[in-house]
Amino acid sequence: MLQIQNLHAKVGEKEILKGIDLSIGAGEVHAVMGPNGAGKSTLGAVLTGRPGFEVTQGSILYKGEDLLAKTPEERAWAGLFLSFQYPIEIPGVTITAFMKAAVNAKRKAHGLPELKAGDFLKLMKEKMALVQMKPEFAKREVNVGFSGGEKKRNEIFQMALLEPDLSILDETDSGLDVDALKIVADGVNALRSPEKSAVIITHYHKLLEYVQPDVVHVLKDGRIVSTGGRELIDAIEAQGFDQF
Amino acid sequence: MGHGKYIDPLADARSKPGMTTSVIAGLTGNLYQVPAGERLELQFVVLPGESRDIDLSIDLTGPGAQAHVKALYLCNGEEKVNFRILMHHRAPGCHSTQQVKGIAGGCAQVHFDGTIVVAPEAQQTEAYQENHNIVLTEQARVQTRPQLEIYADDVKCSHGATVGQLNPDELFYMRSRGIPEAEARTLQMLSFLSPVVPAGREEEVEKAVRSL
Repeated sequence: MLQIQNLHAKVGEKEILKGIDLSIGAGEVHAVMGPNGAGKSTLGAVLTGRPGFEVTQGSILYKGEDLLAKTPEERAWAGLFLSFQYPIEIPGVTITAFMKAAVNAKRKAHGLPELKAGDFLKLMKEKMALVQMKPEFAKREVNVGFSGGEKKRNEIFQMALLEPDLSILDETDSGLDVDALKIVADGVNALRSPEKSAVIITHYHKLLEYVQPDVVHVLKDGRIVSTGGRELIDAIEAQGFDQF
Repeated sequence: MGHGKYIDPLADARSKPGMTTSVIAGLTGNLYQVPAGERLELQFVVLPGESRDIDLSIDLTGPGAQAHVKALYLCNGEEKVNFRILMHHRAPGCHSTQQVKGIAGGCAQVHFDGTIVVAPEAQQTEAYQENHNIVLTEQARVQTRPQLEIYADDVKCSHGATVGQLNPDELFYMRSRGIPEAEARTLQMLSFLSPVVPAGREEEVEKAVRSL
């Protein structure tokens, strides 16, 4: 699904990623853990093509193709999704208009006809229910006036609607109380399948109690310094990141 | 009139039932006098392809008079769009709003000069003025000069003016969900303009936004 080789990236003049190697197979869930400033969010930003993040070395293959050659929207059409750590507010654009444009753009890219309005609304309702979003949110402006938990649920709702093949969850658990965390985790688990992969970026073990990762990586100072299984999460919980 | 792109405020004011105002076209602009208890609503739409001077002087002459001005402009090329709006509260208990929003591309030049004057006798005035602008290119120029002159003490007045660009974070967020860049820009521009788009002209405005 994803092969990252010797990835270096900088923001402005500052090098943040200093040679990352990471390989994710179909159906796998990987956790990327690390302290603040390790480069976790930069990894998510580079994968989705956020402007301002410059790759200086290395390569990323996604489904066998050069991911870095694609625009952000092309990456989305190819099934890549990032749940933002800080979801963006879009005043004046409703969730319905936003997601309708997104779903239909992806369908168009795959040569499919646009969804009929009724079919789209039905699908939206179903996916909103998955993350326990109230139906009236469909008419709300994207993320405007949402609480922290509502924003994160909105991200997972979008993920459910777009049915990505590779989901990157950037600190989706930060700022969530236990109930919201469970809702988000249930949403993520509902989307697991042998074909779909996910990367869970977090500095905290909480979400990983509900979503079991297959592989755990520790990212520190722009490099992956350790890779293992569940035992790494326990080690981090017991002794923090200094041991690496 | 110019290809129906521009709503003539005089014709508009005359044609709308219930809008009984004195309308005097002066030499240097349009003077509107709104007597006690009457309500004036003006709506302007300036679409790409023409330069316009919109020069308004509105006098609220009787108690409880109201005036509401909405304007939208979209311009590119070498166009020049100028707004000069003088809102004069001369009587107590009057209410006015001005909302001017637009997008300048190409080498367009836009100038907004808006003044609210509240006379000493115009107590319990409510007057609001907003001018928000987006520039799309390095060459486009927008100047905005909102002004308040208040001579009464019991008033609610505010004005706000901004000149900005399309928000890159919003654009990236939309693109990351698969919305193509051009479509994301259009969505952003339409949402910015939506408070000043007249009912029934949404499609025309959308077409013009796509042309920028």
